[in-house]
Amino acid sequence: MWRVTIKGLLAHKLRLALTALSIVLGVGFVAGTYVLTDTINKTFTELFTETTKGLDVAVRGKEAFGGQESAEQRQPLPAAMRDQIARVEGVRAAEGSVTGYAQFVGKNGKPVTTGGAPTLGVSVYATPELGESTTVRSGSLPKGAGQVAVDARTAEKQGFAVGSRVRIIFQGPAREFTVSGIVGFGEADNLAGATLAAFDLATAQEVLNRRGVYDEIDVVAAEGVSPETLRDRIQAQIGGGYEALTGEQYAEENAKAVGQFTNVINIALLSFAFVALFVGSFIIVNTFSIILAQRTRELALLRCMGASRRQLMRSVLAEAAIVGFVASLIGLGAGILIAIGLQGLFEALGADLPTTSLEIKPRTLVVGLIVGVGVTLLASLAPALRATRVPPVAAVQEASMAAPARVGWVRITVGVVMTALGVAALMVGLFADEAGNRLVTVATGAIVVFLGVAVLSPLVARPLSRVLGWPFAHWAGQPGKLARENAMRIPRRTASTAAALMIGLALVSLVTIFAESLKASSAKILDQAVAADYILTGPSGGFTGFSPEVVKQLSAQPQIEAATGLRSGSFKIDGQSKGLTGIDPVSYGRTVRTDTISGDLGDLAQGGLAVRKDVAESKGWKVGDTVTMQFPVGGTDRIPLRAIYEDNQINGEYMLALRDYQRHYQDQLDVFGFVKAKAGVAPPESRAAIDRVLAQHPSVQVRDQAEFKQEQENQINQVLILFYVLLALAVVIAFIGIINTLALSVLERVRELGLLRAVGMTRGQLRAMIRWEAVIISVLGAVLGLAVGVFFGWTLVSALDEEGITEFALPIGTLLALVVAAGVVGIVSAILPGRRAARIDVLRAVTTE
Amino acid sequence: MAGETSGAEGADKGEGVVAMREIASRAVAISKVYGHGETAVRALDEVSIEFPSGQFTAVMGPSGSGKSTLLHCMAGLDRVSSGEVWIGDTELSRLNDRRLTMLRRKEVGFVFQAFNLIPTLTAAENVELPLAIAGDQAERSWFERVTGEFGLAKRLRHRPTELSGGEQQRVAVARALLSRPTIVFADEPTGNLDSRTSGELLGFMRRSVDDFGQTIVMVTHDPTAAGYADRVVFLSDGHIVDEMAEPTAEKVLEFLKRLGD
Repeated sequence: MWRVTIKGLLAHKLRLALTALSIVLGVGFVAGTYVLTDTINKTFTELFTETTKGLDVAVRGKEAFGGQESAEQRQPLPAAMRDQIARVEGVRAAEGSVTGYAQFVGKNGKPVTTGGAPTLGVSVYATPELGESTTVRSGSLPKGAGQVAVDARTAEKQGFAVGSRVRIIFQGPAREFTVSGIVGFGEADNLAGATLAAFDLATAQEVLNRRGVYDEIDVVAAEGVSPETLRDRIQAQIGGGYEALTGEQYAEENAKAVGQFTNVINIALLSFAFVALFVGSFIIVNTFSIILAQRTRELALLRCMGASRRQLMRSVLAEAAIVGFVASLIGLGAGILIAIGLQGLFEALGADLPTTSLEIKPRTLVVGLIVGVGVTLLASLAPALRATRVPPVAAVQEASMAAPARVGWVRITVGVVMTALGVAALMVGLFADEAGNRLVTVATGAIVVFLGVAVLSPLVARPLSRVLGWPFAHWAGQPGKLARENAMRIPRRTASTAAALMIGLALVSLVTIFAESLKASSAKILDQAVAADYILTGPSGGFTGFSPEVVKQLSAQPQIEAATGLRSGSFKIDGQSKGLTGIDPVSYGRTVRTDTISGDLGDLAQGGLAVRKDVAESKGWKVGDTVTMQFPVGGTDRIPLRAIYEDNQINGEYMLALRDYQRHYQDQLDVFGFVKAKAGVAPPESRAAIDRVLAQHPSVQVRDQAEFKQEQENQINQVLILFYVLLALAVVIAFIGIINTLALSVLERVRELGLLRAVGMTRGQLRAMIRWEAVIISVLGAVLGLAVGVFFGWTLVSALDEEGITEFALPIGTLLALVVAAGVVGIVSAILPGRRAARIDVLRAVTTE
Repeated sequence: MAGETSGAEGADKGEGVVAMREIASRAVAISKVYGHGETAVRALDEVSIEFPSGQFTAVMGPSGSGKSTLLHCMAGLDRVSSGEVWIGDTELSRLNDRRLTMLRRKEVGFVFQAFNLIPTLTAAENVELPLAIAGDQAERSWFERVTGEFGLAKRLRHRPTELSGGEQQRVAVARALLSRPTIVFADEPTGNLDSRTSGELLGFMRRSVDDFGQTIVMVTHDPTAAGYADRVVFLSDGHIVDEMAEPTAEKVLEFLKRLGD
């Protein structure tokens, strides 16, 4: 039997090549994802080990606030603590350090962008051991109020050199410094894409708003004292509000934080890899079905000669396993190339990762092989089972080409039940209140729906092909007519080929619909909730803040009626970390429309808290209650509740009066600003007034409502394009499937094609026939995909109604364009099979053996 | 039975007709060589033959005699190594694939031993196929006459899998006739049929020559089939060894026996 298996493989190697390609791509995606994220992790671990070189113990505030959406915030340390620690036995040196916001202004007067990475201002160490991680590339470390050191990458990109004058924006107004030196971090030119401005400690404390405090105190141990011992001694001295960590712990913790982040990337990319493999499995099912159908006689002959069903089954599965294994091996190689490509992409986006070799873990290889072989085996199971049912007598019977088209009640039942179950799971995941693992439920539901529709699709393949093929049958002459007949001929084959495409296009149309709904919803929010004419954002669109000076100065302009800034922060309530917005109630009330249910937002002028209706309901709060909140600065505080408001999609859950915010947070930066012009002031005039103020604050961007909408759309579009790129692989695999099916059909129909040539069909007509068949199949897949995608999109948007996606937008134009694009790619995928068909030797096709 | 007399009459009639009739197709010293050098095989060796219009010619010979090769070369399905093949006024060896295809479409009809029909098309659609490929429509009355003559009127809406072997071959012959080609080539059309169905089919072919004036060339190894033809050409080892006018099954059988000796 083994010999038969091997011979079978060799005989069909060309047919199997395309199948293998779908596995290669899927496994490549999986392996590439692992290699990339492992490499990033390793890079950062190395980087953190490098940056904590020489550090034995670090001391910092114990409670961490936020850390997921906003940067982590901790209670600062009083300056006196340094002296206290310096006196601990075994401490050779103890030095305070601060880190904060410092935004470079480039030579063109615009802020230096980082693409989302932080813009850091830091203090440099006077203790040589602590400063070990920073290598001075040229010049010297900064000394005194007028000097700054710049990271090598920023210096190179902006053309800063030792002696250059640079402007830097802080929480207060911008200031000018002289570059004293250019620094790197071991081999790396910057810290994973961040810009770095380093000052001496006193200057840093002043410009970064850390007067009299430190963010961290870093300690070097005396000779013979272990970091662990020293950590314990220091911890005993500083009390419960602060914590001491060894340098090693510190590096590990940082690496873990990065690990959590890369884990998210990992899961996201792997789910796209999974989609690709899922689509690929359809192609495997199809190829094996077709190849085995063509080998019916051979299989029956083996049965005649005494091969058992089990032997046939094993032979077919062994064939699948070998294909899967070889394809997975190639896929692993491809994965490494993919990882290199992605790394290059990251670098092109400005994240300068220190050069390290790619990290290829044994886990990557094992998972890649298991997934590749597993998917292939699983997908070949059904065709293999069918192969074993071939009766021995089929060896001597004339093979009937057209399988009888029976209405399979089993198929209908299974398909309907599966689809229903999938939809049910989808609904539970999206709408049911209890938390659970909603994402898993939704994903499982979606997969089951896809499978259910795939099971049902052979039933609709024939009538749908008839309808979709109508234009070809009527306008493309005899080739068009034959194309339609061929597409309708074996509905199961047409359907499973189209189903692969269906999955890709369903997801593409889902994200498109979701993105459009998001745009429409945010535009509506802006129209309804924002009374302001202009919106201010920081340099990277709301992620980094800007100086409160901006709003202060704008409010003073005669053309401006009101300007307000929003600050964001984290706090803890009942042990849970939550986010809040710090607002100035008076100016906020004039620029953003808020409907209060009880109390008055204006009452926040005397300090206090306002919460959203659903929060108040779930906590059982009324206006006049006191809420106990824990803050990064000042610890626990009891804040009076002044107002409860309706959701307007802008306010968020908690809004804290500015005067309380200032007491409880270190950084005072506005992340958003709203500006309303005085009535009667023409837009160009108010805009000019704002531009005059912003001339001194180049990091702040101003947009009117229309521009802001446009900007938001652009951002959504960018994410959309990323999704398109990631889904493209699944669509490409689906088209490989179409090529594969057509190529196999051509081989199967050699005699028929030869006959057509003999009775006068030209090569061009033959190619046209295959081309139109491909178009019918791909448009069929697109139509099924859009149907499923629109349904998914509608349920998702409905489920997120409360999260602010109130509008359901159906981008008809884009969806139609998808169908057309599917048709065009269908034409492309017919090129090779068409050429193969045109090359058929008429004589060999029409002569009997 | 009718032996000598009918043969003589037939020969007279035949000669007169040939003199009046045009030549539908002819081969001038055609050779077909497969492979080259030591292993070269000459399937046809300097064969010259004419097929007059309105005549039913059978080509016979033992396996490997080159009869199928001759048919394929005459029909433009295969290219000759040397010599000229004419269909009507067109010489085939100088035509490119496209022109050859056009010629097959308009001037030539085919009937093969098996797999003559496109399984996805109905009998009627299969009959009309060459015309449909050319983008033409069959003349209604002619279509009805041909399909009626072949007893297919009630089977036109059926697909090939629903037709008997004899019906399938009749559809194939009807298809070959529908475009009124200069010549119809049939390659063992009765090869897969039992004797009764064979007789029916050959009767239809005979009538299409008599009633419609169709030219037919048929390769066969069955003396009974050859008996339906106006003339039999015998091939052996790539040469035409003999021919017989007004053949009967008995005469052909006898001749083959002699040839075998």
